[in-house]
Parts: sequence; C-alpha cells; structure tokens
Amino acid sequence: MIEQTVFYIFSALLLLSAGLMITVRNPVFAALFLILSFFSTSAIWLLLEAEFLAITLVVVYVGAVMILFMFVVMMLDINLSALREGFARYLPIGGMVAISMALSMVLVINAGEFGLASDTVQRHGADYSNTKELGVALYTHYLYPFEIAGAILLVAIIAAITLTMRGPRSSKAQKPGEQVLVKSTDRLRIIKMKSEGADSEPEKDPLAESKLAQSEDITVKKESL
Amino acid sequence: MITLSNVLVLAALLFCISVAGIFLNRKNILIILMCIELMLLSVNMNFIAFSYFLGDINGQIFVFFILTVAAAESAIGLAILVVLFRNRNTINVDDLKSMEG
Amino acid sequence: MISKAEILILMPEIFILTLACLILIVDTFSQDPLRRVTYYLSQLTLVLTAVLVIGFSPEQTVYAFGNSFISDGMSVVLKTGVFVISFFAFLYSHEYLKEHGWLKGEYFVLGLFAILGMMILISAYSLLTVYLGLELLSLSLYAMIAMHRESTTASEAAMKFFVLGAIASGMLLYGMSMIYGVTGSLELGTIATNIESNGDNPLLVFGLVFIMVGIAFKLGAVPFHMWIPDVYQGSPTCVTLFIASAPKLAAFAMAMRLLVDGLQPLLNDWQGMLIILSILSMATGNIIAISQTNIKRMLAYSTIAHVGFLLLGLLSGTPSGYAGSMFYIITYALMSMGAFGMIILLGRKGFEADELAHFKGLSERSPWFAFIMLILMFSMAGVPPFLGFWGKWFVLKEVVDAGFVWLAATAVFFSIIGAYYYIRVIKFMYFDKADSMTAIKASKQMRFALSVNGLALLILGLMPGALLAICVSVLSIAA
Repeated sequence: MIEQTVFYIFSALLLLSAGLMITVRNPVFAALFLILSFFSTSAIWLLLEAEFLAITLVVVYVGAVMILFMFVVMMLDINLSALREGFARYLPIGGMVAISMALSMVLVINAGEFGLASDTVQRHGADYSNTKELGVALYTHYLYPFEIAGAILLVAIIAAITLTMRGPRSSKAQKPGEQVLVKSTDRLRIIKMKSEGADSEPEKDPLAESKLAQSEDITVKKESL
Repeated sequence: MITLSNVLVLAALLFCISVAGIFLNRKNILIILMCIELMLLSVNMNFIAFSYFLGDINGQIFVFFILTVAAAESAIGLAILVVLFRNRNTINVDDLKSMEG
Repeated sequence: MISKAEILILMPEIFILTLACLILIVDTFSQDPLRRVTYYLSQLTLVLTAVLVIGFSPEQTVYAFGNSFISDGMSVVLKTGVFVISFFAFLYSHEYLKEHGWLKGEYFVLGLFAILGMMILISAYSLLTVYLGLELLSLSLYAMIAMHRESTTASEAAMKFFVLGAIASGMLLYGMSMIYGVTGSLELGTIATNIESNGDNPLLVFGLVFIMVGIAFKLGAVPFHMWIPDVYQGSPTCVTLFIASAPKLAAFAMAMRLLVDGLQPLLNDWQGMLIILSILSMATGNIIAISQTNIKRMLAYSTIAHVGFLLLGLLSGTPSGYAGSMFYIITYALMSMGAFGMIILLGRKGFEADELAHFKGLSERSPWFAFIMLILMFSMAGVPPFLGFWGKWFVLKEVVDAGFVWLAATAVFFSIIGAYYYIRVIKFMYFDKADSMTAIKASKQMRFALSVNGLALLILGLMPGALLAICVSVLSIAA
C-alpha cells in the first residue's frame, strides 16, 4: 500500500514536471524541470529494484548531461520572445495529437496481455546486489555491446572536439610579418552612401555613420589578425 | 503493489508528453533536444518495468546502453547546435529555411 | 565465456576499430595539409578489412557473443559492398576536400567509425546490437555533415538530420521495448520462436508500428522522408555521396534483420505497412523530383523513389524477393555514388556544380564524362541494358510472383514518370549550349575512378547474372 502511494506521488510529480518542461517560456526553467523529472524517475526505478540505474540516472544525467545543457543555454544568447511565438498556434493541434496518441497507447497497453510477465514478482533478498548482477552480465555476456558503446563514446569525443574547437589561442603576440604585409584595403572599407536630405534627423549624419562603420571594421579586422 | 500496466501507462504518457513537446516547441531546438531526452526516459521506464516483471536482467542492460548512447548523442547534438548558432546567430527552426523545394 | 573462435569471427571489426584509433593518433602528429598519410592509411584499412571479411567468412551461419553477432552469407556480401563503395567514396571525398580547402584528418577517422557502425548493424542479431550499430553509424554521419563549420547549409542540414534521427531512434527503441516485453528476449532468433509459439498478440503489432517508423526513417521512405532532401542538398557533396551510398546497404540489412530474422511471424502485418510506404515513396519521390532545379535535391527525391522500389522486394516475403531487394540496393548505391561523383568532378574551389543548369552542354566540354553521366542517368531510369534496369526487373518479377500484380503495375507507372527527369539531364548535356566552356579540372585518380564507376554499371548490366546469383545464394541459405 505504501509502495503504491509512493509510486503515485512520484508519477504525478514526473508527469507534472514533464508537462511544465514543455510549456515554460525560459529554457533554463525547462532544463530544471527536466532535472526534476529525472529525480522522480529515479525514485520510481528504485521501487522497481533497479538501484544501479537509478543512481546512474542521477549521477550521469543530472550531474553531467543536464549541466551540459545548462552551459549551452547560458552560452548561447537566445532571443526568448521570438522562440515562443508559435506556441499558441501549435497548441490545439499538438494537444490533440498528444491526447489522441495517449488514449490509443493506454488502451492498447491495458488491453494487451504480456504472456511471460507476471504481476506477482518475487522480491530479492537483502543480500542481493543489483550492481553485481549487472556487472557480471555486462563483462561476460555483453562484452561485445560494451566495446561498441566505448566506440560510440569515442566518436562523441572526436565529434565534439572537431566541431567546436577553434584552434589553440595560447599566444597573443604580434606577428610582424603579417602586419607588414597588410594593405590599406584590408583595414579600411570605404562606404559610398547617398547624402540624406536636410530634413532628416540630425543624429543620422551619414559621415558619422560611415566613420562608425569604418572603425567597427578596423576592430573586427584587428581581432581576426 | 505496483502493476506492470501502471508503469507502462506512465511511460506511455511520458512518451506522449515528449511528442507533444516536440510539436509545441517547434521553434526552439534546445527544448526539442530536451524532449528527446524525455522520450528516451520513457523508453527506459518501459525496459526497467519489463525487466522487473519478467525477472530478467537483460532489460536493465539495455537501459544501461541507452543511457550511454543518449549521453553521447546529446553531446554531439549540442556541439552541432553551437556550430549552428555561430553561423546563424539563431536557434529558431523557422529561420532554418535556406533550402526549399 | 568468450572463446577464441568468437574473437576470430570478430577479427574484421576489431581490426578496423584498432586502425581507426591508430589513424586518429597518426593524424594528430601529421603536418601535411593534404593529409596524405591519413588518407592512404584509411584506404589501406578498408582494403585489409575487406580481405579479412572475405578470409574469415564462415562456411555456414555462425553466431557469437551470446547470439548478439551473426556472420552469414548476407553479412559477408553486404560488408564487402560497403568496403568497395566506401573506398570510392573516400577517394572522391579526398579530391573534393583538397579542392575546397577544408581537409581534416578527422573526416576519414569518423568515416571509418561510420563504416564500423555499418558492419555492426549488418552483423547484428539482437535488438541491442541493432541499436548500437545504428547509433554509431548515425552519430558519425551527423558529425561528418557538420564538419564544414563555415557552411550555414551544412550545419542546418546536420541539425535537421540530428533532430529527426534522434526522434526516429526514440520511436525505434519504444517499439523494441514492447517486443522485449512480450517475448522476454533481446535476441532476434529467440524473439521469432517465442512469437511463433505464443501466437498473435496486439502488443506485438503495436511494437512493430514503432519499429517500422524507425526503419522507414533510416531508409528514407515516405512519410518519414523529410530529412532526405534537406540533408542531401545542405551537406557538402562528398558527405552527401557517402550518406547516399554505403549506409543504404546497412539500412537494408537493418530492415532484413528486424523484419525477416526477428519478426518473420508477423509477415502479414508488416507486409501491409510496407505496401503503403512503398506506394507513397514511389509517388512522392518521382513526382516531386520533376520540379527540382538543384540536382542534389533531385537525386534526393530520386532516392526516395528508389527506396519505394526496394521495399517491393522486401514485402514479397520470399527469399528470392529479399535477394531482388539486395541486388537493387547494391546497384542503387553504385549509381548514386557515381551521380554525386559527377557533381564533385564538375565542381571546383568555391563552386559547387549542384544546379541542373551546370550540366548544360557537358557533351561539348567533355564528351567522355557526358557519356558516363548518360550511363548513370539511364541506369537510374531503368533503361536496359544498364544495371539499374535489372534491379527493377528482378524486384518487379518477385512482386508479380507474390501475387501483387496491381502493385507491380503501379511501380511501372511511377518509374515511367520518373524516367522524365533523368532524361531531362541527358537532354541538358547533349542538346543545350553550355553557359561556360571551362575545362574540367580533376586529378587522374578521380577521372579513373569515376570512369570505372560508370563503366561498371554498363558491364554489370550486360551480365547481371553473377551478382544476382550471389544475392540469391546467400539469402536462400539464410532463409
């Protein structure tokens, strides 16, 4: 009875946090709600005697993957208002799709019988170690998939580094050779503009604007050198 | 007692929420990536439930591998997202329309 | 416990993984801007692994590692096909990357990992290895597309491919979890026997639907084809070439393993789904391809149409039907590799020959390559005596034998519509004036490889019996 109550509490928490995750405005909150759903999932997994995976979920997902998400959210300067514009427009169709899908899935699952699975589970004793059983299976029977998983992680490392590393920037020393070779056309961009009428606003002085453009251009070029 | 269908229904609902999330947040790739994590979470829930009620460790092993691969996948996904953001200065899906036809 | 014989069976995979890691380290120390050492080592690895695969090919079907690995006739043929195609793909890629000036050693390393993923997928005999092989393949491909960091279209294509691919994997996994729950096993063989002994269960079909979504996505069948046009068009041409050729063989193997090896008792259910996917793919692919002006996009839609044809053989549900499909996918991989090779050939630094208009007047600029392109296009359209015709012929014959005459008639109808846009390319090459008469600038290897590629279609088309005999023999043993 207690078990069932705990299950329902965490299920409710999981569904609530998942629902909030897809509806909140701010990606940071979305990530936090995802973390909450991971926590409640891990509690449910503990009830199902998958202790090792429950802990792994918290350590790897909450501890590493979600932090990575947070880093990216903070790193990218995202325009939030533009990202939410379509939300109300998609809500009716998205909601309908989801509700009809949920209904049909639940109906099928409740109607189906799982011949081999039984609802009366024999519980393991206190001396049973889930980690040990997983480990034994993983390093004997599942050696081949285990090695493949290693290759997948290596690919992830190679990919992440090739995609995002922008070369070493250890030294900021001047490079005289390159500086000598610079031509004026590399640094200065002359912009031809139509002179605007006298009735235009005073701060929109074309000369000042083109100067601004030039000075911006120079700073950009210097950075790239 | 928790029954098998209890957990399966929970996982199915979670799956539907993640699909709905992908529909609703069609503009924001970051949220879409999070919805994909949620989808994998529901699959993991299924596997663990089956593993428990079948009394068979293989389901848990599968979850172990899904967790590993999903972590690698999100690392690559975020790396691509960063590259995209540097090029386009946006992660809005509606702006990704340079190819049509 | 793991026996020595099991390790020996796995030799090719172990070899390519070791070499890939070695090449990664060698490349780090390489100063050469042309990455010659990396490139030649990668090609050497492919050749040696192919030798190992053929050398270690077993007399009969062998299972290893707790039945999660299978080595049979189909796996040997498909793996050899992957190596041959990847060899050419690497060659074209090296030329392309040299010309366009963003050559990176990691390209070949990731390519080798993708090939390892294909090998694992082809030899997978449990749900777990299918999933892991698929992910190793896809993750490498995502990274290869995004690797050209300055290109906005490439990163956009990578993002679309990634998001849709990840959703498809999620669906596939959901289906796998249902199958596991009903049958209590991850091994495909045990799954098949359990389904047979326990009879029909609605949950199996429920799981099958999700698995079908995953398979259809990886093959690119309508309505799960949205990624193909954007990814083909947006990726750098060398990556498109790679994606459009070798991984198709792996996707075919995945469909074979899951549907035929694992879910054969549900034949009646998946046959119906495949019929719908097949008709939709042939219709959508062939009709939309007509309105394309970008040749990469046109070839993308033509891929979708070809996938529709491929499914015809699978849905006939007989070993000879599977052999027809296998023949079809190998010929398709050869043709699409040649077609994208032509785009690479005509391109140069800062210029991609990806518009149809760029093929105008090719017969004046280079009569020989116009002829090669002619072979490729006729072969894709299914004009005899080229290889593509035989692929279509065998598949159609099997569909008629299986009793779906109306389906065969529909397929013929759509392929006649499809012939239009291939022949339009030929018309551009032979009957239109060129916009510019710049000579084709390409290395000797590139010209040679492309000529071999094109002529192979003609020569194999003149004697298609040998390749078909191989396909039939390996699949009749398996079934």
